[in-house]
Amino acid sequence: MRSRMPPQAYIDEAWFTRERELLFKPLWQFIGLKVMLDKHNAFITRTLSGIPVVVQNFHGELRAFENICPHRQNPIQVQPHGVRPLFCGYHGWSFDREGATRIPHEDALYRFPPEERACIHLRRFALEVVGNLVFVCLAGTPLPIKQQFGAAMLASLTASSLAYDSEVIMTTYEGHFNWKLAYENLRDGHHPRYLHARSLYQDVKFEASISEEGVAGLRRLQEAGIADRSRALGLMRSFSGGGRDAPMAAPPDEPYHAHVERYRDQDWYYNWLAFPNLHIASANGGHAFIIEHHIPVAAGRTDLVVYYLTAKKKQPYASSAAVLHAHMMGTDIVMREDIEVMEQIQRTLHPGASSPHLGDYEFINASLELWYLDLMEGKFAL
Amino acid sequence: MPCKHVIGHGPELVRALAAWRSIAPAAALELRPLEIDPAAGQAALAAALDGLEDLDGEGASAFVALDARFLNGMRLDLMASLRLRGIAMPALVEPGALVAAGVRMDDNCWIGAGAIIQHGSRIGFNTVIGAGAIVGSGVTVGHSAWIDEGVVIGRGARIGAQVTLGLGVIVGHGRQIGKLCIVDKAGRIEQDIAAKTFIHATHAQPIVIIGA
Repeated sequence: MRSRMPPQAYIDEAWFTRERELLFKPLWQFIGLKVMLDKHNAFITRTLSGIPVVVQNFHGELRAFENICPHRQNPIQVQPHGVRPLFCGYHGWSFDREGATRIPHEDALYRFPPEERACIHLRRFALEVVGNLVFVCLAGTPLPIKQQFGAAMLASLTASSLAYDSEVIMTTYEGHFNWKLAYENLRDGHHPRYLHARSLYQDVKFEASISEEGVAGLRRLQEAGIADRSRALGLMRSFSGGGRDAPMAAPPDEPYHAHVERYRDQDWYYNWLAFPNLHIASANGGHAFIIEHHIPVAAGRTDLVVYYLTAKKKQPYASSAAVLHAHMMGTDIVMREDIEVMEQIQRTLHPGASSPHLGDYEFINASLELWYLDLMEGKFAL
Repeated sequence: MPCKHVIGHGPELVRALAAWRSIAPAAALELRPLEIDPAAGQAALAAALDGLEDLDGEGASAFVALDARFLNGMRLDLMASLRLRGIAMPALVEPGALVAAGVRMDDNCWIGAGAIIQHGSRIGFNTVIGAGAIVGSGVTVGHSAWIDEGVVIGRGARIGAQVTLGLGVIVGHGRQIGKLCIVDKAGRIEQDIAAKTFIHATHAQPIVIIGA
């Protein structure tokens, strides 16, 4: 079938700006791991939809704020993570769990009128913790998170992420591709046997197939369209899901496995896709997890933040850092295979580029693009 | 005649054997190489060590020659296994290395040809200083580090245990690099680096470990 996605959806900055407003701002976005925020004053910072956000631990309670000091717009936390009070290093302003401001030398130097002083506080964002995963929503009136992911997906994310260890390795890849190429790639079960033939596919034999039920659903969607917001939300929930994906070619067997509390006990590749831009997988039957967060930066730029952690340690062991580093470098091979092809595709796109041809096995991506284009054309709003 | 078990893998084993032979002629020291398979697993490695003869013989000694894999942990594990057996593991200082008087150097260190270790430095056990590397005065290098060939470490710097410094790295005077770091990207380091930070030439941003 012929895709309706125009090349502008991948290359046009005005489209990208509209996409931020219509898609990302109303939705819950992953921002980091709770295990990185496990002590008072621990924080993480990310820029989501162009807005700098800080999540800070206040005596065990997590709060999300815009990471901009209301005085002179200096970022309050300047590192991507750390442990530090919410305190602006420029003029010493500090902030409490409500975002209220303490201003040193306030009476002597600032003399704000009361009505102006009352407005000086940090902009707060809604925050939800799902197991070990922290999400924020930039909308003033957030969608209930269950409406975005569905109860079953939230339960699965909670159960699996509670298996995570507290030692995390992470890095960021600066991808030169549109973020949607990543979600399309992740929902394309046919590419691993070719693109990852010498890496991931050696361990897990992914088999793409056609779901006649899924194709029939797509046909109905193509004919009837998305009638209302309720139907749009229901369809959006179908883009997220997770659990067992494909059996492993051989049972996982690494020395560190004896040191961790494995998530479940099955020799399967686990896969969770949380729409729009979060992917979690366990390629070794629940002994370790990779978390990939695709953060849109510009139409042709995506930061791919990658976290890797094992399942919880039974007790500390000397080589845990080496295990994480080895996993990260092993994962790097697969990541670069994906990034390279997405960057190649991005380079081919131009305003007059023809639309892709999707096979029936790609019914999920086809449904997703119908939903996406209806959203972008204003047929419904989130 | 004294014997030395030289245990390791690949080019490091070959180099170590050549270096020990350049120090002591065959008539004075018998070298007994043991090539191990790093992928063989702990049990196989232990079995290989158990098979060594004369570990406790008079004049017997050992040397481990492995690269920086697994954050230098494999070399550390192998060395620890041998130490538990009570064998001497003196440092290897290749001909042409210049080590200032009073430099403290522990077991199984390996100082490459042409390396310069200046006054007041301490080199932890099991650390490899590559050929031509320069270690400034008053530097502390922790155990099981890997300092590649030609690396320069400025005076007073502190390099943590199991750190790897790759080709082309220059560590500024007084800088501190935390344990278990990798800096494998050529250039001069003028900021302290937190433990478990991995800077690779292949990665745009550092890889970091958070938590424990």
